[in-house]
Amino acid sequence: MALSTLQKKQLVAVTGLGLVGFVIAHLTGNFLIFKGADALNDYAKFLHDLGGLLWAARIGLIAMFVIHMGLTANLVINKIKARGSNYAKFENHAQKPSFSARIMPFSGVVILAYVIFHLLDFTFAEKSGIINGVDQGLYGLVVTSFMDPLHSAIYIIAMAFLGLHLSHSLQSIFQTFGLVSVNRLNTIRTISTAIGVGIAVAYSSIPVYVLLNF
Amino acid sequence: MSKKVLDSKVPSGDVSDVWKNYKSSMKLVNPSNRRKLKVIVVGTGLAGGSAAASLAEMGYQVEVFSYHPSARRAHSIAAQGGINAAKNYCNDGDSVHRLFYDTVKGGDFRSREANVHRLAEVSVNIIDQCVAQGVPFAREYGGLLSNRSFGGAQVSRTFYAKGQTGQQLLLGAYSAMMKEVNSGQINFHNMHEMMDLVLVDGKARGIIARDLRTGEISKHAADAVLLCTGGYGNVFYLSTNAMASNVTSTWRAHKKGAYFANPCYTQIHPTCIPVHGDYQSKLTLMSESLRNDGRVWVPKKPGETRDPIDIPEDERDYYLERRYPAFGNLVPRDLASRNAKYQTDEGKGVGSTGLAVYLDFRDAINRLGETAIEAKYGNLFDMYHNIAGENPYKQPMKIYPAVHYTMGGLWVDYNLQSTIPGLHVLGEANFSDHGANRLGASALMQGLADGYFVIPQTIGNYFGSENLGEVTTDAPEFAAAEAEVTGTIDKLMNIKGKKNVDEFHRELGLDVWDKCGMARDKEGLTKLLKKIPEIRDEFWQNVNVPGSKDGLNQELEKAGRVADFLEFAELLATDALDREESCGGHFREEHQTEEGEAKRDDENFCNVSAWEFKGVGNKSVKHIEELTFSKVELSQRSYK
Amino acid sequence: MSGESINLKLKVWRQNGPKDPGRFEEYQANDVDTSASFLEMLDVVNAKIIKDGGEPIVFEHDCREGICGSCGAMVNGKAHGPKDKVTLCQLHMREFKDGETLVIEPFRARAFPVLKDLMIDRTSFDKIISSGGYVSVNTGNACDANSIPISKENADKAFDAATCIGCGACVASCPNASASLFTSAKISHMALLPQGQTEAKKRVVQMVDQMDHEGFGHCTNTYHCEGACPKGISVENISRMNKEYLKAKLKG
Ligand SMILES: Cc1cc2nc3c(=O)[nH]c(=O)nc-3n(C[C@H](O)[C@H](O)[C@H](O)COP(=O)(O)OP(=O)(O)OC[C@H]3O[C@@H](n4cnc5c(N)ncnc54)[C@H](O)[C@@H]3O)c2cc1C
Ligand code: HEM
Ligand code: FES
Repeated sequence: MALSTLQKKQLVAVTGLGLVGFVIAHLTGNFLIFKGADALNDYAKFLHDLGGLLWAARIGLIAMFVIHMGLTANLVINKIKARGSNYAKFENHAQKPSFSARIMPFSGVVILAYVIFHLLDFTFAEKSGIINGVDQGLYGLVVTSFMDPLHSAIYIIAMAFLGLHLSHSLQSIFQTFGLVSVNRLNTIRTISTAIGVGIAVAYSSIPVYVLLNF
Repeated sequence: MSKKVLDSKVPSGDVSDVWKNYKSSMKLVNPSNRRKLKVIVVGTGLAGGSAAASLAEMGYQVEVFSYHPSARRAHSIAAQGGINAAKNYCNDGDSVHRLFYDTVKGGDFRSREANVHRLAEVSVNIIDQCVAQGVPFAREYGGLLSNRSFGGAQVSRTFYAKGQTGQQLLLGAYSAMMKEVNSGQINFHNMHEMMDLVLVDGKARGIIARDLRTGEISKHAADAVLLCTGGYGNVFYLSTNAMASNVTSTWRAHKKGAYFANPCYTQIHPTCIPVHGDYQSKLTLMSESLRNDGRVWVPKKPGETRDPIDIPEDERDYYLERRYPAFGNLVPRDLASRNAKYQTDEGKGVGSTGLAVYLDFRDAINRLGETAIEAKYGNLFDMYHNIAGENPYKQPMKIYPAVHYTMGGLWVDYNLQSTIPGLHVLGEANFSDHGANRLGASALMQGLADGYFVIPQTIGNYFGSENLGEVTTDAPEFAAAEAEVTGTIDKLMNIKGKKNVDEFHRELGLDVWDKCGMARDKEGLTKLLKKIPEIRDEFWQNVNVPGSKDGLNQELEKAGRVADFLEFAELLATDALDREESCGGHFREEHQTEEGEAKRDDENFCNVSAWEFKGVGNKSVKHIEELTFSKVELSQRSYK
Repeated sequence: MSGESINLKLKVWRQNGPKDPGRFEEYQANDVDTSASFLEMLDVVNAKIIKDGGEPIVFEHDCREGICGSCGAMVNGKAHGPKDKVTLCQLHMREFKDGETLVIEPFRARAFPVLKDLMIDRTSFDKIISSGGYVSVNTGNACDANSIPISKENADKAFDAATCIGCGACVASCPNASASLFTSAKISHMALLPQGQTEAKKRVVQMVDQMDHEGFGHCTNTYHCEGACPKGISVENISRMNKEYLKAKLKG
């Protein structure tokens, strides 16, 4: 049975929500960097020791990513077809800003590009980095990478896009599942933007911390 | 002029029982035979939409035509105020009899008593039906339906959905119709304009239609034809009707033999936004519910130039309250309109054109507060503000009467059948229920009564009584009608004159408004009758229809409609001149009481004039249906 | 009440039929009275085009009161022009400044093919309604209107949803050409009333499927539609449709 656009949309939201869960979990893990090299490295080791479980989580994550991207790509094609011919001039009538909403596919692609870069950069890289003449493993790798301002900038920009993506998408989930009433819509939008910005700032705090302290 | 007497076919008996008894004695068509019968319905307003849906549900094959792209765009969508029903939900003494009585009296005793009684009876079923369809009428906090008093009624019997009652009712009928489109029982031909009626053996057996997208002319055969095509108010050019509303379908049926009844009964609505420029294309009505709280006045001094808020109380003339103390601002539409005209005739009109009077909410706002007024009339105030560019909470509104409804229409008998067998006419397009003046909130009621509850019964009686042979579009009558239609279109296209269609329409309309509008007299009507053929002749010599007849051509559509108005207007004026009395919306200056009220002549004119067509430019022949009243006493209408 | 007069340059989309590629053409509209409506301004321009031997700009209109839903075009990129909560026929020229250039094009969507110039074919909307936008109650079957009380709150909300005029501005202004606001307004109207309950599940599934089938896009919650809607129909209705849809699919 073919899925309706609404079903696809709801699946995007489910997978999106799963990815949000990952983003938050990942963030809490990353924050161990502030506790020092041992905390972070132990955490990484703990994850690796999970073995099969880690792979299960990874496969789940990849599946969510693939479904999320596949369906959104499908919807983007659908939308281009639905317009037919293009307007000479097109403006937003609404008072409500829609910048983050309209660049969703773009912010998504930026995130994808970033994720690939990020995996090569940290996940598949050799986990070593020498700080003050000592190899401090993963911690060292992260810190030395972020000591390069350009490298940090890439991360911060990517996080800005993640923030934009989430600003729109978190409130979007409520609308997509029919949990919004008019009186609550504005509140939900504000909270959504706050969380989106919050996550971007929180992630970015790591490279900023490194730049300022090393 | 010869006079024949027409038979209304009202069954005998007490008026209050006629419909009940008739329903159980009419002939029926069994379900398997209904499947074989085809009915053409032209128009998808309240009348057409409800008829099409109901007949389809009963199993008839229904072919629906409308020049609109969607059935939901019919002009009924624009009705604002409400719909009457004798539910007596307010316990204020309403009853079927009272609604019947008010409607007959409101119509100035020129409607058919039995029809009006039936209308009042089925009014209650209409509300039930609409609520069941999901029409979101206004409700009270307890969850029950809310009613208001409307158009001068002394009981609250009007059901409403904010200022969008017509829209909600039409969407109800439209959805019922679309349900049958989905089930395949209705075949809907959108953007198809009916160009002619086809008679075979003297019976209505089909129509000729033009596809407005492609220009293609097509023939359609059926066992009966229903015209539900609305009113002819646009003969006045400026009116509150939708731009495309026209007389074409009924006029062409008239030319094929259907009598046209009481064309001179036209209604002028008192609360419209005044004209503001020559480019003006239509007039906007504001619900007369505004008169419940607004006070109508003009400055006492002619030629007043002060800002209205600076005019002190004792220099204002609240002329309706002064002249009609019992009803005040709530007098019927014709009185309210005519009195506005008298004020402007005396030079007391306001606004840049001097053709307006004030409708003032100052006192109501002081009494009830701005919030209460906003809750009641917010959307109307916004509409006024948007169109007129003035804030009615601060400044009194300016209003002026405009043509709004046409009581006249094709003559029909009690079965809603015209003088052509098989041709039935429903809604505003027929003439029967409103007499010389329609009360507020009763047109919606009539359209739905005809469509949901009357025609489904009476059409069965027609099919049951007639032996209809099989007719296809191969019958020579179809080819002949088609040739005529094509001929007229070619003629219009080939004139290639100098004047645009709208110029003719405007010229005709303004003259008809001037001489056959709110007040009429012999001199003016005689002049008008001389002028109309002149405009018509010039039209056929000098009109310019650009583009081609194949494909979408809005100028060609308009040209065809204006051509019909140019013929119809002559009948309108003829009827107005012939009716030597004043009644309801027909006010002859020569016939008024000393107080300036309409003076009926029940001796000679307690009847319906039904006109027979005798060729363009030739004198039509008048036939008479006598009107008798058994349940009400004829009285001089008095609203003092 | 007549206003000032202004001069405008119009860039109008002209297209001779669904297959014609179409192009912009320029017209000068001089001495436009600012109390005229937008359509009256076009009438005057058209009258001149005809006098000059051309073919007038085709646009759809009927009631000119903002209720029939016939009119509509994009004016400078906005459905029904710059003013909020009005249809094109209720847009008045006092909203524009002397010397302005107005770009006027039809509502564009694959499901709304252009018939001619600014006139589009919106039968896709009718098809969505006929796929389920009704209560199946045949004439004569109804019980007394007051036998089912409905809370005023729900009745009012149902009314607000039911005021949709089917003009298509929501589709036109949606970056995805989605008909979600239109479809959801009808679904909400029925879902909020007891009369609509019996067929609720079937209705929402069929109408959503029909919407896809007609070639409309999907909703990405940009809420442009609500801003462009001349009747101010709320996106809360889309939310309600989504919920109804999920309910129908999960409970089957
Ligand atoms: C502004 C306004 C406000 C009103 N307010 C109220 C009110 O509050 N209460 C009330 O009771 N009444 C009111 N009325 C009157 C009432 O709305 C109309 O009388 C009524 O709706 C007419 O319905 P109808 O079905 O007869 O015709 P319409 O709704 O006019 O429908 C005519 C149909 O016929 C079709 N048609 C016509 N000619 C052709 C042709 N040649 N070929 C194909 N199709 C054709 C059209 O496409 C359309 O579908 C109001 C009227 C106006 C103008
Ligand atoms: C960490 C990664 C990501 C997270 C947390 C995330 C989260 C979300 C969420 C929660 C939604 C909202 C669903 C809804 O409309 O209700 C969403 C929508 C969307 N996402 Fe992602 N996403 C991620 C990565 C991506 C990627 C890599 C892409 C594209 C390549 C992408 C493209 C989209 C698009 C196009 C939408 C639809 C927008 C809409 O319909 O309004 N996302 N995302
Ligand atoms: S013409 Fe009817 S809404 Fe504009």
